[in-house]
Order: sequence, then C-alpha cells, then structure tokens
Amino acid sequence: METLLFVVLGAVAVAAAGAVVLSKNAVHSALFLLLNFISLAVFYVVLNAQFLAVAQVIVYAGAIVVLFLFVIMLIGGEAGRLTAPGQSIVPISAAILSLIFLVALAYGIASGALAGVQGPASEDVLAQVGNVQALGQVLYTDYLLPVQLVAVLLLVAMVGAVVLAKRPKT
Amino acid sequence: MLIDSVWILLALPLAGATINALAGARLGRRATGWIACGAVGLTFVFAVVLFAVLAQRPAEERAVEVTLWRWISVEQLRVDVRLLWDPLSAWMALVVTSVGFLIHVYSAGYMADDARYARYFAFLNGFVFMMLLLVLSSDYILLFVGWEGVGLASYLLIGFWFDRKIAADAGKKAFLLNRIGDFGLLIAIFWLFSLVRTTHFQTLFPQASAIVSQRGAETLNIICLLMLLAATGKSAQIPLYVWLPDAMEGPTPVSALIHAATMVTAGVYMIARSWPLFALSPNALTWVAVIGAATAFLAATIALTQTDLKRILAYSTISQLGYMFLGVGVGAYASGIFHLTTHAFFKALLFLGAGSVMHALHGELDIRRMGGLREKIPTTYRTFLIGAAALAGFPLLSGFFSKDEILWLAWQRSPLLWLVGITTALLTAIYSFRVVFVPFWGDHRGGDAGKKRGKAKQTEAHGDVHESPRVMTTPLIILAVLALFGGLLGLPRLSLIEGWLEPVFHTAEKTHQALEFVFIGLSAVVALTGIYVAYRAYVADTEWPARLRAQFGWLHQLVSNKYYVDEIYTAVIANPLRDLANWFSRVTDGRIIEGLVNGLAAAIGVSGEQVRRAQTGLVGNYALSLLVGAVALVGYFLLR
Amino acid sequence: MTLTIPSVNMTALLPQIIIAGTALVVLMADLVLREKRALGILSFLGVAGALGAVAWLWWLGSVPSFQNMAVADHYALVVNIIILIAAGLGILLSLGYATHVTPHQGTYYALLLLAAAGMMTMGAATDLVTIFLALEILSLSLYILAGFNQADARSGEAALKYFLLGAFASAFFLYGATLVYAALGTTNLLALLTRSFRPDGPLLWVAAGLLIVGFGFKIALVPFQQWTPDVYQGAPTPVTAFMSVGTKAAAFAAFARVMIIFLPGSHSSWTYALAALAVLTMTVGNLAALRQASLKRMLAYSSIAHAGYLLVGFIAVMDGGMQAVFFYLLAYGFMNIGAFAVLVALERAGDGDVDATRARGLAARQPFLAALMALFMLSLAGIPPLAGFFGKLYVFSAAVQAGWAWLVVVGVLNSVISAYYYLGVTVGMYMQEEAAGEPVVVPARGVGLSLALTLAALGTVLLGLWSAPWLQLAARSAVAFMGG
Repeated sequence: METLLFVVLGAVAVAAAGAVVLSKNAVHSALFLLLNFISLAVFYVVLNAQFLAVAQVIVYAGAIVVLFLFVIMLIGGEAGRLTAPGQSIVPISAAILSLIFLVALAYGIASGALAGVQGPASEDVLAQVGNVQALGQVLYTDYLLPVQLVAVLLLVAMVGAVVLAKRPKT
Repeated sequence: MLIDSVWILLALPLAGATINALAGARLGRRATGWIACGAVGLTFVFAVVLFAVLAQRPAEERAVEVTLWRWISVEQLRVDVRLLWDPLSAWMALVVTSVGFLIHVYSAGYMADDARYARYFAFLNGFVFMMLLLVLSSDYILLFVGWEGVGLASYLLIGFWFDRKIAADAGKKAFLLNRIGDFGLLIAIFWLFSLVRTTHFQTLFPQASAIVSQRGAETLNIICLLMLLAATGKSAQIPLYVWLPDAMEGPTPVSALIHAATMVTAGVYMIARSWPLFALSPNALTWVAVIGAATAFLAATIALTQTDLKRILAYSTISQLGYMFLGVGVGAYASGIFHLTTHAFFKALLFLGAGSVMHALHGELDIRRMGGLREKIPTTYRTFLIGAAALAGFPLLSGFFSKDEILWLAWQRSPLLWLVGITTALLTAIYSFRVVFVPFWGDHRGGDAGKKRGKAKQTEAHGDVHESPRVMTTPLIILAVLALFGGLLGLPRLSLIEGWLEPVFHTAEKTHQALEFVFIGLSAVVALTGIYVAYRAYVADTEWPARLRAQFGWLHQLVSNKYYVDEIYTAVIANPLRDLANWFSRVTDGRIIEGLVNGLAAAIGVSGEQVRRAQTGLVGNYALSLLVGAVALVGYFLLR
Repeated sequence: MTLTIPSVNMTALLPQIIIAGTALVVLMADLVLREKRALGILSFLGVAGALGAVAWLWWLGSVPSFQNMAVADHYALVVNIIILIAAGLGILLSLGYATHVTPHQGTYYALLLLAAAGMMTMGAATDLVTIFLALEILSLSLYILAGFNQADARSGEAALKYFLLGAFASAFFLYGATLVYAALGTTNLLALLTRSFRPDGPLLWVAAGLLIVGFGFKIALVPFQQWTPDVYQGAPTPVTAFMSVGTKAAAFAAFARVMIIFLPGSHSSWTYALAALAVLTMTVGNLAALRQASLKRMLAYSSIAHAGYLLVGFIAVMDGGMQAVFFYLLAYGFMNIGAFAVLVALERAGDGDVDATRARGLAARQPFLAALMALFMLSLAGIPPLAGFFGKLYVFSAAVQAGWAWLVVVGVLNSVISAYYYLGVTVGMYMQEEAAGEPVVVPARGVGLSLALTLAALGTVLLGLWSAPWLQLAARSAVAFMGG
C-alpha cells in the first residue's frame, strides 16, 4: 500500500516538476508548481510529519504560489514569453548534465550507506504527544540557535524587501 | 660599537631617495644633485670606515650581524631583520658605493637638461638603497626584498624615457624576463623555508648537509638549479639574457651602474653567497659553469657583429658575466668576485665613455658613423682606451688578472671549459678594440650616413663635437685609474682579495704551479693577438671584414641577428601566452560588450524586459558552468 | 517526554549579538536621526564593541559553546577579527560613499552589520544547520547590498545575478548537508570529530562534492566564480571591499571545519579535487585579470586568483595550513580593502567604477594617493617585505610541507603573472601621462576614507615588517582547530 502510494505520488511530483520547466505559459507553470508542492505535502503525511505537511500547504502552496500568480498576472506573463532566444545549447547541455548528476546521486543513495539513526520521536511517541509538540521540543531545545538565526534571516529578508520595494521615484 | 651602525649605509640613500621623490620639484636642480650625490658619497665614506673597522678584527671574527628588529617569531620559527657585515658584503658594498658615487656625479652632468631630473635621482638613490639591502642582507627573504627592489628600480630606469615606446617596451621585457627568474628564487626560498623553517644564512647553511641526508641530494640540487634560474634572469645569462641589450634604452649612466657594474652582478653574488648549498650539489655547480662558458662565448660572437656602441658593450657585459659564472661554477668564488670587481670598474668606465661620446655626438650610437674622435674628445678617448684594454685582458691591467685566474681554475676543472674561455678571450680582445679603432681612429665617416637618415645636422658639423664637462670627465679619470690598477688586488701569489674573502669561502690554499705562469703568458699572447687582429681588420685593412662577411654570409647573418633568439622566444613563448590571455579574457569576459549594450539599453530607458531576457540567458550560462563543476566533482569522487 | 530547558551560553556568540544588536539600533535610529552620518559612526562603534568582546573572549581561557551549535574557540575568534576588520573598514569607506548612493542609509548599515554577523556566526558554527543558516543570512544581506547603488543599472543586475546563482549554489550546499545527515545520522561537526570512525562510502563522497560546490561558490573558486566580476563591479565599492574579504574568511573557516570530517589523511581524494580547483582558480583568475580595463573588475579577477592561493594553503590543512590561510586572509583584508579604498577615492560621484586610464599619471597630481595604491598593488603582487608576500610565504610553505610542491610551483608561477597587472597599475600612475581628454579627477575626501586608507596601509606594512604577533594569533587558532 505504502509503496503503491509512493510510486504514484512520486510520478505525479516528478511530472509536475517537469511541467513547471517545460510549460510555455507562466500561469500553467505556477499551477504545476502548486501540484508539485501538494504532492510533497502528501509525502510528509505518509512519513508521519503532519505538521510539515500542513506547513507545506499553507506556506508554499498557499502563500508562495499565490504570490507567484499575482506577480505573473500583474506583469502579464502570457505564453511564449519565458524562453530566452538563441540559447538552445544551454538547456540541452544542462539537461544532459542534470541527468548525469541524477545518476550520480542515485548511485550514492542506492549504495546503502545510510546511517538512519532513530531519534527519540518514534511512531509511538508521536502518537502519544503529537507531532507539533515533538517538533517544538526539538526546535526550542536542541535547535535553539538555528531558530534564532532564522529569526535574523527573516529580519534581513524583511529589511531587504522594504528596500527593494522603495525604488527611487525617478 | 661603530660597526653596529651598518644600517646607516641603508638609511643614507633611502633618505636621499625620499627627499628627492617628495620634494625634488621644489628643491631645484642644484640641491637635488647635491643631495643625491652627497647621500651616496657619504655612504661610500662610511662604508670605507666600516670596512677598515672590519679589517682590524681577527679573521675569524669578521662576520658581524646587526639585528634591527625581530620580524617573525612563532614557535621555533624566528626571522629577524638583520644585516650582515662580513668580508663579502663589505667588499660588495664598497664596489657598489664607489662606482655608484662616481656614476651619480657623472649623471649630474649627463642628465642636466632632463625634465625629470629629480625623479631620476630619486630612482637612482633608491636603486643604491636596494642594491645595498641585497648585499647586506643576512637572510634570503631580505635578500629577495633587495632583489625585487633593484629589479623595480631597473625597470623604472630603463623605461625612464617612457615617451619613447621602445624604451617602455624594453622596460617591460626586462621586467618579464626577470620575473621568470624571480619565480625560481621564490620557489627556492619557499622550499628552503619549509625544509628547515629558516631563511637565515648562518642558521640555514650548516643544515645544508642535513637536507642532503634527509631529503636526498636531488632536493638540494633542484633548489640550487632554481636559484641558478633566478641568477640567469638577473645576471642576463642563457636562457634569459635577451633583456639586457634592450635595457640600453635607458639613460647611459643607468646602463653603466645597473646594467653593467652592479645589479647584473647580483646573480653572481647570490650564487657566491649561497656557496655552502652549491658546494653540496656539484651537479648544479657544473650547470653554473657550463651556462657561464656558453653565455660568454655566445655573447662575445654577437658583440662582434653589432654596430650600436651601447649594444656592443651590453653583449660584452653578458659575456663577462658569463666569465663570472664560469668562475663561481668551478668553485673559484673569490675569483668570480674579483672579476666582478674589476669588471665593475672597467665596464662602468666604458659605458660612461660611451655616454660621453653620445654627449659629444648628440646621441649618435652607430659606430659606423663615427670615426676620428681621438682628437676631438681626447680625455674620453684615453680613458676609453684604458677601459677597452682592461676588458681585452691587456697584460697587467685589471681585466687581465681576474680573467686569467678564472681561466686557470677552469683548466683545473675541465680543459674544455678553458678552451671555450680562452677562445672567448680572443673574441673579447677583438671586439673591445673594434670599439676603440672604429669610432676613435681613422676618418670621420658620419656625414653621408647621417644625411641619409636625416641626422645630418647632428654629426656633419664636426666642429660641434666637444668634450664633456668636467663633472663627467672626472669620474672617467678616476674609473680609469681603478681599471688600470684594480688588478693588483688579485695579483697571483699576493692575492689580497682572496685572503680577504677567505673567512667567507674557506677556500683551501690554491695550488700555484709553474704551469699557472705558462697560462698567464698564453693569456697575454691571446689578448695581444686579438688586439692585432682588430687593428688589421679595422685600421689597416678595412676591406677585410667585408670580405669575410661575403665568404661566411649565412654565419654573419645568423650571428648579427643574435641567433634569432628574440624571434624564437617571441614565437614559442610570448605569442602563445598572449593568445592564451586573450582567449581567457574572451571566454570569461566576452560579456563586456554585452554588458555595455545592456547598460546602454537601461540608460536610455528601453523596457527592463529585454534587458532581463539577455541576462537570464547569461545567468543560465553561469549556472551551467556551476553545474559542470558539480558534476565533475561528484563524478570524480565516485569514480576515483 | 518532558521538556528540559537547555542552559544557554550566550557568551559564545557575544560579538555576533553585539553586531546584530547594533544593526537593530541603527535601524531604529534611522527613524529618529537627521544626521545620517551618525548611523555610520554608530555602526563603527558597534564593530569596535564587538572587537572588544572578541578580545574578552580571547582572554577568557575557557571555550564557551552554544549547545555545540556554535563555539567561541580561538579559531572562531580569529575569523571574527578578520571579518570585523573588514566590516570596520567597509563602514569607514561608506561614510562618504553611502550618502550619494542611497537615501536608505539606515538599512544600508544595518544590512552590512547583519552580513558581518552572519559571517561571524559561520566562522563559529559547528553544526551544518548553523552553517547553512549563517550562510543564508550573509548571502541575503549581500544580495541586497549589491543592488544598493540604485542609480547604476549594473548594480541591480549584479544583485539579481548574485541572488539567482546564490540560491542555486545554496541548494547544492543544503543537499550536501542533507546527505551528510543521511549517511552519518547527525549534522553536528563536533560530534563527528570526536567519533572514532573513518567515514566512507559513495553517499558521503557525493555529499562532500555538493558541499564543495556550495563553499566554492562563496569563495569564488573556478568554475563556480562567474558571478564574481559582475557582482564586484556592480556592487557599491565599499560593499565589494567588505564582501571580498569577509565572505572568504567566513566560508574558508566553515569549509575547513566541514572538510576535516572527511579527512582520512592529507592526501585523500578530496584534496586532489581541491588541488585541481586551486590550479584552475589561480590560472583563470590571473589570466583574465591581465586584460581588464576596469580596475574594479581587475580586482574582482584578482580576488578569484587570491582565493586560489588560499585554497593552496587550505589543502595543507593538516600541516598548519589554516593558520597560513588566516594570516593570508588578514593580509588580504588590509591590502585588498586598501586598494578598493583608493578606487572609492577615484570614483566620480555615482559612476561606481574606475577605468584603468583614470589612474594614469596619478602620481603627479596625487602623490600620496598614488603611493598608497602602489603599496597595495605591490603587496597584492606578493613583493616583500609587505603583508602579501608573507601571506604567500606561509601558505606556500605549508603546502610544500604537506607534499604539494607541484601545486606551489603553479602558485608561484601565477603570482609571477599577477605581478604584471598589479605593477601595470603602478607604472600607469608613475610613468604615464594623463590620458588626453580625460577630465581631471578630484579624489573624494573624507575622514572615514582617510582613516580607512591609513589603517589599511598600516596593516599592509605592519603585517609585513612585524608579522610576529599576527602569526601568533593565527597559530593559536590552528591549535584550537586541531584540538576539536
């Protein structure tokens, strides 16, 4: 059952990702991206990471893709506008290289050198205390510093967004 | 103690250079000249005093180190800024400051009309500072500071008249070829540093044998060969000699000081200084001797065919430097330094004489268009004659003894080296009297050639030819005296210089045999023969050289074109390198124009859309190169 | 499962906290203060305060650690010093510059400080997660700073390119970190260091490759360097000066902490790969720099070449390479920022670039400025007795000791080539007449600029003539590093 789900979802996710790149219409691309994000969210659910799944839907599928769509609509991204002219060698070689890269990664992962340490949050524990709480416990104890750093990162992003938005009036 | 104030030797020229560089324009010519000459003159006086102090010490205590400050001190690693005042450095300091002072004085007259007078003297003082730093350093790093410094000064002075493209190009060429040599020295220093964690001579040299026993003889051998590469750059030996003839584009006193008397001998000095390393790598030492002999011969043949007075002297310098290399290469370090000294005197004299000729003839340098100058500029002629005779190895003059000693020691090493050396001696005698007979004897023959080249006004009006002012002839006379009697320093069996340098080189007592005197006689005969040949060819039977040329046309062609070495270097090294650099800049930077177009588009308000499109393509290219790197890295790691 | 409140040792990140706090204060003060120059001075004071904190931590004796996510060992502190010097000089350069570049000076200084905080955190980080977040903080700040020169189209272009490519490279880094976790079960470098095992297996090697790509992008190694010239040229010059040194210091520091866990020996495969990268980086950087008309672009390529020299020392990480790298970075910080400072002085208001012809004949008009530029150029070319020479000496001799003699030969050959373009600038200033038709440049003046120039020149000379204390500093860092 799990395997079947994985194969189907995986195929959907990969196909959606491919469609994002290949689609000539920007709106379609954004929608395929949405599909990709949602299939990822389903993956998280299957992996018992419900909080991540919800976050994925809310943040990525909800906020980011909608923002993309807004921008595309605003600047008017109709079909045929996203291809750079006369650079056919670049996409082709990029595709070939990416393929080689994929093979290398697959080989590395398939070599089975995974340590796979089981942390304190086993399935039973999760069933008991809940996903959000388990995650929160790790984040606010062991990963306290990264959380703080993320806060700084968000500050930088915010300041940057304000500066970029305040373009000179000329 | 007085001897601790060795640093004053450095401080004086540095002060002179600084004052003239910063305030030269405001001081006026007179003050500038006085400051520059005074700084070097005082340095010379002080060097003499310190030399005397050193001489009063017992022989085994004649190495004084003066630590100025601690440079590096980390764990076991200690490097100090430290000067070394020992017989070798003191000797070199005397040579540099004495010749340097005379040339400064001469320059005051020679450069009198130049617009950049102050800058010239700032550079020249700076050069003396760097040269003294080079010879006084007790450490390879400090030596390298001086090494680079004299290179920089030489570069600036060759290109001093930079408005002439040929001078600027010559400066560049000298600089590039010297950098190749510096590359060798740098690697040698890095290597030594990583082997023994020090670059200080007195600490490093005793460990030389440890290097051999631990790392094998090959390591030290390669280090020595790298140093040799550096020396061939600075001292203009095969394969890096081609910059020196072009360096004659600089002012003539510069040619005399830097490109004949002092800087170009730095390579010889460096090898002599590093003798404990070279002594343990006989292989490298053999290379020194072979390169020296080959250069001496090659350059002498070229000197025979050149017609530009300064270029003849330049090739002669290369040839004589070859002798010095031959000397240190056969282990006769003291003889090498001896020849360095006498050469400094007579070659400086010859160059200054050439400068005086140029001064008289308003810049004419082609000896075929001179002639009969003997009566016009008698002082110059007499002193020039002495210099040429010393160069030719005329018996009892300075060049005679120093050259002879090297040849004698070369014989003991290998008769073949001696044969090359003695042949070169014959050629030397011929070309050195060629530059006496052709310009100074016979009739003036500048008129026609001058008219054709539009220089009629300069050389035709013979009455215009005049002797140089006193400020220029006085140094000539002093140098002539030194060239006459300098040889006495190294008289066989007396050999003052060898005894003086003995504490440095620890040379075993030389075997003086009766045979040596046979060789001395032979040298005298060779020198006199050469002079006679020159007399026949250039005075008695002036058609003879032409007939020879006709007979051996191809050979003459080959030699007078300097064996096409320049052309070969250009075709084999320079052009491919330039093409490579061009290629790189095209590949990595082909986008300058594209960027300009984009910027222009943005500036004139074309919609951002078009600009962005081109840039997206570009970013794609960049990302692609990133991807290539990633795939290559991961691929290599997986397939390794 | 009970929640245990961790004991948090904030002192480990005290300098970073001071810097980030100053950034916040600057942002606030921007709303209140009329005199915008005060913001720059405020930022500079923050940097000085952070330096004080570093000094305090240095003498503390113990090594405070923030839950093993970041530590304040001597290694981290040396990195902090280098970055703070770069930031301080960058701020001084900005005092006059920022006024005519942007109206948003508060954000400018705040971002500069936040970038510095990110860099410092990266040097202190001992966990891949921390490293990644610190990397993102500094990158994001720099993306925005690169685009700050709003009058110049190239600036915006630079920011966009830097952002797109940086995001791409970050993805590589993140994937590499993920694979490390997959293969080893932890992202904590200290845990990995103390663990007694020899990590191996294809997965780990793939991870190593990806991490190298991520770091290589920030350090500007060939072939991950192509953004460098565009961004260095387009960004406001003080920002370029700051990032050219700070980013390298931070990235090299974290790079070493990460790579040492892959280190079965000094000559494992990854060192060979890095050696190849070093050869490429030095050669491409120097050859491309030979033919640049813009001095800013020339310095960009030269910084690529210097990254190559640094990598040569980095490869000898087990043989005292890191202390050589830090000494080099310190030297590079002074001489490179000094060179950029001269460019700041030569720039005409708002044009954001200096053509080589503009420096011609400078010695006649501005003897002092020309002398300083000559000093920085000679030092960059590695001519003794200046700082640059000793940097090369240490880096190369560490590499020779580690058995990389051939690499050093390539390195020295490259530095010989580099002398050509560095001295080309010097010769242009001293031995050429001003370009005809070029309007006379009136160099910018200002207390900040003069102070920055003086400090940079002092550093360049002192590091050369009196390098002992600095080298000792760097040596202590290496001890801390090897001790885990």
